[in-house]
Amino acid sequence: MSFLTPLFFLGVAALAAPILVHLVRRTRARRVQFPALVFVRQVPQRTIRRRTLHNLLLLLLRCLAILLIVIAFTRPFFSGGSAAKDNTAAGATVILLDNSLSMRREGMFAEAQRRAETALDDARNDEQIALVSFDKRYTVLNRFIADKNRVRLGISGLSAGWDGTDYEQALRGAESLLGEIETTGPKRIVLISDFQMPGWTSAGATFKLSNNTQLTTLDVGGNNPPPNVAITNVEARGVVFGQKYLDNLVVHVNNFSDTPKDHVQVDFQINDQTVEKRDISLNSRDSRVVEFTGFNLNEGANRCTVEIIAGDFAPDNRFYFTLRRETPKQALIIEGASRGRSDSLHLQSALTTNDDLPFTFALKSAGSVDPASISDYALVVLNDAGPISSALADTLAKFVNAGGQMIVSTGPHTQADTFNNSLQQIAPATLREAVQTKAGESVATTEVKFDHPIFEVFQESGRLAAANVIGYFRSEPRANAAVLARFEDGSPALVEGRTGKGRVLLFTSSLGPSWNDLPLTPLYLPFIHQMVRYAGTREANAWYGLGQTFTVGKRQEQSPPAIDTPGGARLSESRSTPDGDLLVTAREPGFYRLRYSSQPDFAAVNIDGAEGDFTKINFGEFMAGVTGGAGSAEGAAANRNLSDEQVEGRQRVWWSLLLVALLLLLAESFLARRTKMVKMIG
Amino acid sequence: MTSTTATRFLDPELLARVGSLELLARAVVEGFMSGLHRSPYTGFSTEFTEYRQYNAGDDLRYLDWRLLARTDRYFIKKYRADTNTQCHLLVDTSASMNYAHETSVTKLQYAQFLAASLAYLLNRQQDAVGLVAFADKVHTHVPARNRTGHMRTIFGNLSMLEAGGETHLAESLHQLAEILTRRGIVVIISDFYDQAERLQEAFQHLRFKGHDLVAFHVLDQNELDFNFTEPVLLLEDAETLEQMPVLPDVVMSGYRERMRQHVEDMRRCAAANHVDYEMLTTKQSLDFALFSFLSRRAGK
Repeated sequence: MSFLTPLFFLGVAALAAPILVHLVRRTRARRVQFPALVFVRQVPQRTIRRRTLHNLLLLLLRCLAILLIVIAFTRPFFSGGSAAKDNTAAGATVILLDNSLSMRREGMFAEAQRRAETALDDARNDEQIALVSFDKRYTVLNRFIADKNRVRLGISGLSAGWDGTDYEQALRGAESLLGEIETTGPKRIVLISDFQMPGWTSAGATFKLSNNTQLTTLDVGGNNPPPNVAITNVEARGVVFGQKYLDNLVVHVNNFSDTPKDHVQVDFQINDQTVEKRDISLNSRDSRVVEFTGFNLNEGANRCTVEIIAGDFAPDNRFYFTLRRETPKQALIIEGASRGRSDSLHLQSALTTNDDLPFTFALKSAGSVDPASISDYALVVLNDAGPISSALADTLAKFVNAGGQMIVSTGPHTQADTFNNSLQQIAPATLREAVQTKAGESVATTEVKFDHPIFEVFQESGRLAAANVIGYFRSEPRANAAVLARFEDGSPALVEGRTGKGRVLLFTSSLGPSWNDLPLTPLYLPFIHQMVRYAGTREANAWYGLGQTFTVGKRQEQSPPAIDTPGGARLSESRSTPDGDLLVTAREPGFYRLRYSSQPDFAAVNIDGAEGDFTKINFGEFMAGVTGGAGSAEGAAANRNLSDEQVEGRQRVWWSLLLVALLLLLAESFLARRTKMVKMIG
Repeated sequence: MTSTTATRFLDPELLARVGSLELLARAVVEGFMSGLHRSPYTGFSTEFTEYRQYNAGDDLRYLDWRLLARTDRYFIKKYRADTNTQCHLLVDTSASMNYAHETSVTKLQYAQFLAASLAYLLNRQQDAVGLVAFADKVHTHVPARNRTGHMRTIFGNLSMLEAGGETHLAESLHQLAEILTRRGIVVIISDFYDQAERLQEAFQHLRFKGHDLVAFHVLDQNELDFNFTEPVLLLEDAETLEQMPVLPDVVMSGYRERMRQHVEDMRRCAAANHVDYEMLTTKQSLDFALFSFLSRRAGK
């Protein structure tokens, strides 16, 4: 409640008048001698006590009337949560209650529930109220009803979740909900949250509330967010094929507070055994990277955690991920038959320098390959193989359709017609003429899709263009093929296509030094490794974010495994793919246990690391961004289109107060007069 | 002097300005007597009883000259005195008698005026008048006499009375019943703050001793009305000094009812014991009291 003219509160001093009169009259009880009190004493004293109470009641009435008159003169009005209590028609209110992870801070969600109930109490009885909880998603718990008790029940049944915050999404949802109801009264959104900055970015905001929607914000986060250090990300390769993890396991630790944090211990564990500990210090608003490498992994799925001992908000101090050590599969390199020196020399060398590749390679000429043996391999590399038999071509087509992976490269031994005929079913592009640059000239690779897994390692260096290409095939990609890189003339350089369950990568130049100098550059090794890894990788993330959906395949079993949630409950809600695999949406941080009968597996799920940043949102920007006008921390947006005088003028609370004061004075007058009459009649 | 003027002198407020009780009593009685000419009640006089032979030394004023003329014999008219009754005036001087509300005359003063007037009146009738004053016990006793100058003793003692002490009216009356051995009239002037049952026993005791009883119940008008302007009072009992906060407008009706009941009880108690009872307020003129006294006595 606010007051337009609070100086009138000085009038409260007028309360002294009736009190003084009461006290003075009481103390002036004159002592009078009377012949005998025998008959006075016989009069019931109860009457006298009642009279004392009567006088106190009169005093109370007088004081209350004066107080109400004084308050009426201050011209009070309700702002914020009570704004709905005006004289207009009943409106509609959406209570948006933040139940994101950050609301798990001690007592915060209970406070939010309390504020929600207060907002509910402040609403008119005939107001249509909807209850919506939100984190990164929003959930409508009650559509518009005028039954406060049901809404109250919904509020009390809520609890804070694990997901991050998205205010824009929530406001969109609330606005959409308000659009469903037709009312002549005000439409209002009561947003109850800790208002942390990561939930809203002014730069990315594209949504504004409509002009006839009022926004009331109730902040339960306090003005001084507590310090917090959190693990925000772990970069890891989910599947490895060697005993040692040779890549860098990168752990991101953030200090979200303005005070430095020293001696933060980072504890890396595999299968509940500590592998390594680090001690780090973080400056204010600092982000540190901690790397682990060279540690051993067991066969199969390894449950890994990184934990920091910081003594603050606990949910973001532990990060879960899985590292799987799998046995490399067989791959076949098929090259041309008649050679003096193998054209696959560089390729073979590149593939054998790393024992952490998903394949072990065998090299055969096209003529020596038994088509029946193709099914023994998971990957086939056609390295400028030249003409192949129709039987092999058919087998390769079946192989790809069944889920096999192929990498195809051209070269001087490749003829476009033969190639197109043999591999027309599976090749992602149709070859046209071969292009040979003039002597001393070359073309570079352009339009590289660096966001593709094959090229993402080159994103920062950008040196892929350094390779000089002197020969390539022009090609025409198939309709469902993706061009991952092109040559300077726009001709596709690397094309990816899917056929059946398999995948084919077509490189329209050579993987040997015949048509380019790629094998002679440092780019060659990572390029080949990335292609092979990409071809051999199944979807096996080290971890999933909360809310992300992951697939749990049947593998060699008849049906998908039973799944236990991190809390230990058996997962009952899941969807299935057409192939019978399960689609599981991560709702809880920790390890989901996939109960395969052969060997258990795990899926790690983590919270949004940014949720640990409790920095307050810039309310001015937020309100301006969301409502298009100025806003303040609490409740000011409720009447953003009205001045205080206008709000007060609409509500006219003073009028009611004066009316009540008048009634009180009438009651006082009646009681006082009744006393006097009793005295006169008596 | 007109009757109005005479009556004016009977107003207690005015009489209070007269310093001498003797003067006061004379003014009251003479004024009262002059006013009686218009009264339907006839007066009193000496009464002829017999003749006797004149002896030397007899007062010639009583010689019956008519009889001497007719019979030539000397006879003296013998008159019987109207009365030779003893009358005791009992005045209550307890502290409660010191009350006056919105008047200058306290109940005790009124009792003094009344007693003085009665004494004067009775003395004029040749009755022997005595005075007894009491509070918690009898503290003043002037035996009944008919001598010249006795009135001064009576008036002197009356004027010296002061209010004080608690009332033990029944006990005092019992005590007086034993003291007053000769039959006579006992006039009790009191506010009668005692239980009617106890007083009844005392009246019976006095009646048993052969006394005729006259009770003047003297009250201040405010003792009947309980009419105070203040919203709240701290009442103090004049005798026990006990204090009690009171809201007069609340207590008033209950008090009045109880007081009315008490007066009624007193009236009933007096009637049952053949006691001439009269309730007087200190605002009433004294002739009312005298008239009441004489009219009741005329019937005896």
